[in-house]
Amino acid sequence: MKIIVAIKQVPERDARIRIDAAGKWIDLQDIEVALNESDAYALEEALQLKEAQGGEVVAISVGPERAGQTIREALAKGADRGIHVEVSDPDALTNLDSLAIARLLASAIRDEQPDLVLTGLQSDDLGFGQTGVILAELLGIPHATLILKTEVTSTGIRVLRELEDGWFQHIDMPTPALLTIQSGTNKLRYATLMGIKRAKMKELRAVTADLASVAPVLVRDRVTLPSKQRTTEILTGTPAEAAQKLVDKLQAEARVL
Amino acid sequence: MALLLALPAASPAFSLGSLAEPAPLLLAEKALLLALILTCAWLFWRRFGVVVARIRASRKDPNFSLAPIAPRVRDFVWEVLCQAKVIRERPLPGLAHAFVFWGFLAFALVTLNHFAVGFGFPFLSSTGIFGRFYFAFAACFAVTCAISIAALFVRRFLIQPVWLARVGHKISWESGLIAGLIFTLMATYLASFLVPDGSPSATILWWAHTLSLLVFLPLVPHTKHLHLILSPLTVFLSRGGFSRIPPLVGDEDFGLVTGRDLTQLVSLQAYSCVECGRCTEHCPAANTGKALNPKEIILGLRSYLNDLGPTSEEPLLGKYISQEAVFQCTTCGACEYQCPVGIEHLPIIIGLRRGATNTGTWEDDYAGKLFNAMERNSNALGLSALDRDKFIQKQAFPIFDGSQDYCLWLGCMGGYDPNGREIVSSFAEVMNYLGTSYGVLRKEKCTGDPARRLGNDLVFQMLAEANLEALKQNKVKKIVTICPHCVRTIQEDWKEFGTPPEVEHHSEFLARHQARLPRNPSQDSVVFHDPCYLDRYRGITEEPRQIAALAGPLVEAEQSHQRSFCCGAGGGLAFLGEEHGERVSQVRTAQLTATGASTIAAACPFCNSMLRDALADSGPNPPQLLDIAQIAAASLPPKSDPTQP
Ligand code: SF4
Ligand code: SF4
Repeated sequence: MKIIVAIKQVPERDARIRIDAAGKWIDLQDIEVALNESDAYALEEALQLKEAQGGEVVAISVGPERAGQTIREALAKGADRGIHVEVSDPDALTNLDSLAIARLLASAIRDEQPDLVLTGLQSDDLGFGQTGVILAELLGIPHATLILKTEVTSTGIRVLRELEDGWFQHIDMPTPALLTIQSGTNKLRYATLMGIKRAKMKELRAVTADLASVAPVLVRDRVTLPSKQRTTEILTGTPAEAAQKLVDKLQAEARVL
Repeated sequence: MALLLALPAASPAFSLGSLAEPAPLLLAEKALLLALILTCAWLFWRRFGVVVARIRASRKDPNFSLAPIAPRVRDFVWEVLCQAKVIRERPLPGLAHAFVFWGFLAFALVTLNHFAVGFGFPFLSSTGIFGRFYFAFAACFAVTCAISIAALFVRRFLIQPVWLARVGHKISWESGLIAGLIFTLMATYLASFLVPDGSPSATILWWAHTLSLLVFLPLVPHTKHLHLILSPLTVFLSRGGFSRIPPLVGDEDFGLVTGRDLTQLVSLQAYSCVECGRCTEHCPAANTGKALNPKEIILGLRSYLNDLGPTSEEPLLGKYISQEAVFQCTTCGACEYQCPVGIEHLPIIIGLRRGATNTGTWEDDYAGKLFNAMERNSNALGLSALDRDKFIQKQAFPIFDGSQDYCLWLGCMGGYDPNGREIVSSFAEVMNYLGTSYGVLRKEKCTGDPARRLGNDLVFQMLAEANLEALKQNKVKKIVTICPHCVRTIQEDWKEFGTPPEVEHHSEFLARHQARLPRNPSQDSVVFHDPCYLDRYRGITEEPRQIAALAGPLVEAEQSHQRSFCCGAGGGLAFLGEEHGERVSQVRTAQLTATGASTIAAACPFCNSMLRDALADSGPNPPQLLDIAQIAAASLPPKSDPTQP
C-alpha cells in the first residue's frame, strides 16, 4: 500500500505572534515552527497502516526551505521518502490559498499513483480545512473528512467519521481515496535518535513549485491579533437574586438561553 | 578434623610454635604434584581464559582513560585493600569478609613457599628469623580467617539472608564447598604448628593443604569467586564519579542494544558480580514488588555473555533482561553506591534504556507524551511557556541580564508546578532578604533530565545544546536552583555538549549564609528526607540538615544520608503513570512519619510532590511537608519589619 501524507509546517503553539509590516500575515522571521498537529496524526495513521499492511509512506509538503526540516522529522518517524515542493519567495508563499496549494500538491502526487492520500483535518495557522478536500477533487478520487479510524477491507477501506453531537458514521470507500484525519485519534510516536540518523540517508526530493500555474483566487486583506478583553462581573445579592440576574444576562446579553 | 586433633598426641616429639615441613617428597610424588598443578592450572585457564577472551572481545570503552591515576589508586587502597565499602555497609559480615581477604593476602607468601617446599626449594625457613616471624604472623590471620569463614558459612546456610539468594535458584552449593576448602586450608596450616617436622602427620597435613589449594584454584573461575581475581581490577578501572554515562560514538551507537554494544568495562563488571545482593537489598523498586532486581540485571548480562558472547546481534532486552524491569528504575543509585566490587549499575541500566528508546523499541504511552511534550514545549509538564512568563511577572522576579551574581534556574517544577513555584518563591524571598543579586532567564528549557535518564538522547541533546547556548548568550557564570536533578544534569550530563556554568543547589547556598538567617526553632521535631540526586549523586547531606534544623530539633528516619530510600520520582518515573505493586513514595513516607516528627523537610521539588501525594492518603494528622527554602523563609521577620534590610 502506497500512502502519501501531505503535511504542513506551522508556527509553534507558543510562538510569539506579531503581524508583519504589510498587515497581511504574521511575521515569520525567527518564529519557531513545528509540524501541524492534525498532520502529525495523519502521519501516525499512515505509519500504522504501513506497519500492518506493508508498503510505503511518502511525506510531501509545500513550503519554504525550512519546511525541509519538518519533512525530515516525518522521515525520522518512519516515512520512507519525502517530496518538498519548494516555494522560496516568501511573499508568493503568503499569498497562496488552499486551491493553489492543492494544485501544487496534486501535480507532485499525480505520477505517484498512491492508494491513499492522508492530510490533517486542517492547519493550525490558517484553519480553512480545504486543502485535502480540493486535492481529492483535483486527483479525481473520493474523500472523507474528520476521520478517527481506518481499517483496510477487501474492497477498499472502511473509515470512522466524527459527526456533530457525539454521532459517528462508518463509511466503506474504494481506494484510492483521500482522508483528512482528526487530531487525538492515535498515540503519537516519539522521534528517536536512530530515526533521525536513518532519515539522513532517506530520499528527500525537492521540486520547484510552478507558481505561474496556480494563481490564487482568495486574497487576504488584513490580519489582526485577537483583542483581549476581560469582562468579569460579580453578581451580588441573595442566591436567588443572583441566580435571577444570571438567567437574565444569559438570555438578554449572552443570548444562549 | 578428628584426625587433626589426634595428631599432636600421636607424635610427642613436636616443637610447638614452628611450622612442620613434610618429609622430602619422592621423585614420583614430585611428578604427581607437578601433574596435579598442571591439571588444575589447565582447568582454571579453560574457564578463566574464556572469560578473559569475552571481556577482551567486547567493544572498547569510548572516552576511557587511566589518567588521572591518583583517584584510582585511592579507591583501590580504600575499597579493595581496606575493604572499607564492604565493612561500612554491612559491618559484621563485612568485617568477616575482610578477615578472609586479609588472610588470603597474608597467605600469598606462605602458599608460594608451600609449593616450593614440595619441590625441595623452600625459601622461608621455619627456623630462620623472618620465617618464624612470618609463619606466626600468617597464623594469626589464619585464626581470624578460619573463624570468619565459619561465621559466614553459618550466615549463608543457617540464617539465609534473602538477598543472598537468587531468583529461581537453589542456594549455591559451591559457596559451601569453597568455605569448607578455605577452612581446611587454615586448619591444616595451623595444625602444622602442632606436629613434628618431617613426621607422617606433617606430610599428611601438607598434602591436605595442597589438595585444598588445587581444588580451590579451578573452582574460582567457575563460580562467583571469580570476583577474587576480577573485582580488584573492576574497582581500579571503574569510570569513577557517580552514574557516569558514556557518550555515544558514531552513527550506529544507540546505547546497549545487542551484545556488540557491551563495552569491556561492562563485561568486566558483569563477570565481577559476587551475587551479594546488596544492590537489591537497597533498591526501592525491588523492595516494593516491581520486576526490577539490579542484581539480576548484572547477572542477566553475564548469562548473555556466557551463552551468546559479546559479538552477538541478539537483543539484550528480552530473554536475559526484562525491558519492563529496566524501565522501573528510579535511577536512585542505591545499587551503584552499595556495590562492593565497583559495578556501575546506572550506566548499564541507562545504557539499556538508551538502546530501547533511541531505537524506538520502547513503547509506552506516557513516555510518548512526555517526549513529545519535551520536544514541542521544551518542558516536561507539557505546558505553554506563556505560563512560566506569567508566573515570573506575578512574582516580579528580576530578569537575568549578566550583571547579577546568580542566575536563578527555575526548572520545570519551579516554573510550572504549583508546589515547585511556592518553593522557588520562598527561596527568592530568602535571597531578597540576604541582598543577593539574582535574575531568572526570560526563556528556559528543561535540562533534559527525564529524557537523559529514560535514554532519549535525541531530546536530551536538543535541550542541553539549546540551554548551553542560551546560558552562553546571557553570560551566565553561576546558577542556583531548587532542583537536585537540574543541578546534576547541568553540571555533569551537559558536559557531553559543552562547558556548563558553575551550578549549586539552594541547600548549599542557604547553608553558606545560615549565619545571617534568623532562627526561631520550635520544640517540634523535623525529619529530613535526603533526595537521591543530592546525597548519593552530589555527596551532600549536611547542608540541607543545617537549614532544616532552623525549624526544630532534627530526628533521622530509618534510612537516611547516603543510604536514604528514594521517593520514587527519579529516572523520569514521575511522568510514567501508576506503579506496579506498592508505591515507593508510600514506603518512604511511612519511614518518615514513623519518626513522629511534626515536619518533613524536603530539598527537591520532585520528592516534594511524591511525598505530598503519599501523605494525602496516609491517615489523619499527617506531618507538614516543607522544602528547606520554605523553612528558611518562614524564619524571616515579617515583611513590614523595619529590621529587614
Ligand atoms: S538505581 Fe535505584 S531503583 Fe534503579 S536499580 Fe539501582 S537501586 Fe534500584
Ligand atoms: S552487583 Fe554488586 S551489589 Fe549487586 S549483587 Fe553483584 S556484587 Fe553485589
